[in-house]
Amino acid sequence: MFTCPGCSCLCDDIVVKTEDGKISVRNACRRGAGIFLNHNLSRAKPKVNGKETDFDDALEKARELIQQSKSLAIYGLDTTTLEAQKLAIELAEKKEAFIDDNSSFCLGDFVEMILKGELPTATFDDVRDYAYVIVYWGVDPYHSLSRHLSRFSYYPRGKKRQRGYEEDRFLVVIDVRRTHTAMLCKKNAKFFQVRDDLELINAFNQVLDGKAPSIFPQDIPRVVKEMEKSDFNVIFGGLGLKYGLKGNYDMFKEFMGKLNARTNVYFIPAGCHPNMRGFNELMFEKTGSVNKYSFKDGKSSNDFAFYNLLKNDLIDTALVIGTDPLNSLPFEYAKKLAKINTIVVDPRVSFTSEIADVVLPSAISGVESGGTMVRADGVRVELKPVFEREINDEFILKKLLEVV
Amino acid sequence: MPLQFAKFLRKITATVVVGRSSFQVEAADKGKFSEEFVEKSAVAYMKEEFAKKNGFKEGDVVRLTRNGRSVNLRVAIADYAPDDGVFIPNSIYASYLADFDGFKRFEASLEPADGDVTKPEEIIQKMLK
Repeated sequence: MFTCPGCSCLCDDIVVKTEDGKISVRNACRRGAGIFLNHNLSRAKPKVNGKETDFDDALEKARELIQQSKSLAIYGLDTTTLEAQKLAIELAEKKEAFIDDNSSFCLGDFVEMILKGELPTATFDDVRDYAYVIVYWGVDPYHSLSRHLSRFSYYPRGKKRQRGYEEDRFLVVIDVRRTHTAMLCKKNAKFFQVRDDLELINAFNQVLDGKAPSIFPQDIPRVVKEMEKSDFNVIFGGLGLKYGLKGNYDMFKEFMGKLNARTNVYFIPAGCHPNMRGFNELMFEKTGSVNKYSFKDGKSSNDFAFYNLLKNDLIDTALVIGTDPLNSLPFEYAKKLAKINTIVVDPRVSFTSEIADVVLPSAISGVESGGTMVRADGVRVELKPVFEREINDEFILKKLLEVV
Repeated sequence: MPLQFAKFLRKITATVVVGRSSFQVEAADKGKFSEEFVEKSAVAYMKEEFAKKNGFKEGDVVRLTRNGRSVNLRVAIADYAPDDGVFIPNSIYASYLADFDGFKRFEASLEPADGDVTKPEEIIQKMLK
């Protein structure tokens, strides 16, 4: 059995076989199977200034850029292992650099609240065994975490949930559109199509205060009643919830507090990156903050989020590891990467690798190199490689560390 | 010269919702410059009623414009699109239009377009300017 590094579910029941050069994959979702089946496609090649070169030459250029940098940012890291993340943090510390990952515009705020004990949380295994009301809020796991419902939440039978989803689970989906996940809301389920998440929270609060809700007058009291039937309910929050809250985290924590005064409702972030939580936990252990950190200033700040460093021209060099900011960051930020020294460490050709000064091809973590990752619920998972590749993120980061 | 019917259709303001598509994520592993990735990323999913009301049909090319930046995407009919606009997958196309005030949901102008969908290379070229 292998572990799939395709998303933060880190499914550890994957069967991969290779016979006569043909790979077969069992148990994985579409995304997960693709990682193994297509591992040889679209591979990055070592490059300096857009021209192919050998790996040593590209590595030397990267070392030179890092050594010369007066203001370095290390960014990405959510698809690599804890072992590589530790080396990247060490590199940032020694170089007095900035370090950040995708969580600064993804679900890092929720992870920080959990690590600080401000939101009650649980593991997927607890959810499978005990959860009754299961809320997916601003996330479409059908596409982003495809086995989430079948392995951990809605479909499996658990210790206290022996009668399956038909009788023993109550599904709630909250979204701005009728997603594929929302389409599952039939019997024992409720879909809330919302335009304003804050308005929905207010309406839930009204019910929890014993008043009539301003919207969904039948459905919100029903969901609260269903939650009160069980001592274990869970909310999985995604990016839709994060951006829907518009920064009003205190309001969300207050709402969770009110719910938990009635019954037990846990919160688990539902983000995609396989080891985003790992990076957040390592940073929290070391600095007390989960992301957007400056080792020079000794603090975390929104000003140190990678996109703000770019926007405000605060860095001369970016070391981008296992992520593609040209694909994921808004244009006004991403375009600045073309103006500074950019070093990309990635297994595959990416948009960012096309504009980078240096490209260092690496192994696919969890497929071609082993290590540890942290699932979205905080459980550590070991990954062993299916295929072997000598040059991986750890190897590269150790080489880069030698020059600082 | 072929008749350009597109210019007779109107420009509207539509809600754009950005999200994951597992088909598109799978295509990314095969290559972000591959035809499959462009086919699965340069797409504006809309409900049939919304498309009919605004004169679009499956396979049409539409232009989404926000803050002076435009991308051409192909129309696909999907029942999981928002009621009053389009769903587009997370990708360089969405990021080209988005900002952090409207990262997962924003308003953009939507109009018919001639020609083909925007290629990732065209957006990258704009970054290099």
